[in-house]
Amino acid sequence: MTTAYGVGIGWRPEIGGFVAQLPGLRFAEVVAESVHAHGDLPVGLAELRDRGVAVVPHGVKLSLGGAEPVEPARVTHLAAVAERLGAPLVSEHIAFVRAGGVEAGHLLPIPRSREAVDAVVANVKRTQAELPVPIALEPIAALFDWPDDELDEGAFLTEILERTDALLLLDVANVYANARNRGTDPLALLDRLPLDRIAYIHVAGGAEHDGIYHDTHTDAVPQPVLDLITELCARHRPPALMLERDGDYPSAAELTGELDAIAAASGYPRVT
Amino acid sequence: MTSLAQRQADLVAALTGGAAVPLGFDARLVEAARVALLRKRAGEVARQWPDLAHALGSGWYRQWSAWAATRPTRGSLRDGWDLARELASRGELPAAAGAELAAREASLVYDGENPPRARRLPAMRGAAGSVVVQFAGRVRVLRRG
Repeated sequence: MTTAYGVGIGWRPEIGGFVAQLPGLRFAEVVAESVHAHGDLPVGLAELRDRGVAVVPHGVKLSLGGAEPVEPARVTHLAAVAERLGAPLVSEHIAFVRAGGVEAGHLLPIPRSREAVDAVVANVKRTQAELPVPIALEPIAALFDWPDDELDEGAFLTEILERTDALLLLDVANVYANARNRGTDPLALLDRLPLDRIAYIHVAGGAEHDGIYHDTHTDAVPQPVLDLITELCARHRPPALMLERDGDYPSAAELTGELDAIAAASGYPRVT
Repeated sequence: MTSLAQRQADLVAALTGGAAVPLGFDARLVEAARVALLRKRAGEVARQWPDLAHALGSGWYRQWSAWAATRPTRGSLRDGWDLARELASRGELPAAAGAELAAREASLVYDGENPPRARRLPAMRGAAGSVVVQFAGRVRVLRRG
């Protein structure tokens, strides 16, 4: 993805009206599983496409980090949605969401072990074989780690990206959350990652409960996450940065404020 | 060493089915993840079943988490449906949530095991004092509980 799209937003039906009225918008993301592969597009999404906004399908249920092979029907769906939207790329997580036939209901971390790296790489390659466009992989916010981690996060992610030739979807809120909860330095991780492989950036809010920072996507984006954007862009500015909000939707004024804050932190023009 | 597949399954069982936290994990952090997961599911079910969540009011999250703690998700439509049916069977479904359940029962066939699918024939269903009729896919509330 070489086009510079600037500031974008995660399209959700609840804020579809707000997104439709953003004059400068060139980049949006939609949850891949919420789009029908062949039926009508959700109301408002086709209009965004017609305006020339790049809409990237973001998968949440492939379970690329599962020890079991990725389900072919889910890959086929993701590929069909990418075609449908004329998307420049798709994205998914380095995580697993089901095991032994049971759905976890959320993204779960995988061990940073050789065995797990092999499993992810195999699943990403199976997925890439079907996709019409590149895939970007997103490291998640993990509330806990596995006891048998062999690699640090930088080495773990770099190895997966190198072996799959995938792009990186870096979520600066996840970087912040993990560093805060593990007591590590988020900038140290930025310095270990191949920043030139970043396809785009996620930005989201969170909140602390009982001493643990949760990446909720339902709270305001905290200042340290915006500061991380500035640090990142000073090193290598990615082609797009987008706000993710998944509930407790605030007023249009607050959403506008968050988009403008991302623009200010990254140096991209406002899209509002 | 146990396979990665088995260890992932053990972890999911601890997070969704009330199984013990696998050896070596930080039990406090896994518990925080388990609670966060229940909250996330609660929000999703409340969006699918707004009357149910609203009618239970301050008791919604307590009722939900007691029910869901040992039941892995089968999707928010079915999770809410299963809970509403269980409450109805105990006579504990609030009247304000009756029409929502009755409308779903009249519109879709759901045997509790397989994914719900559209009903082909007209149907009349009641729940918690509400009565709903569905004809050609259109739902009308005949009586509200």
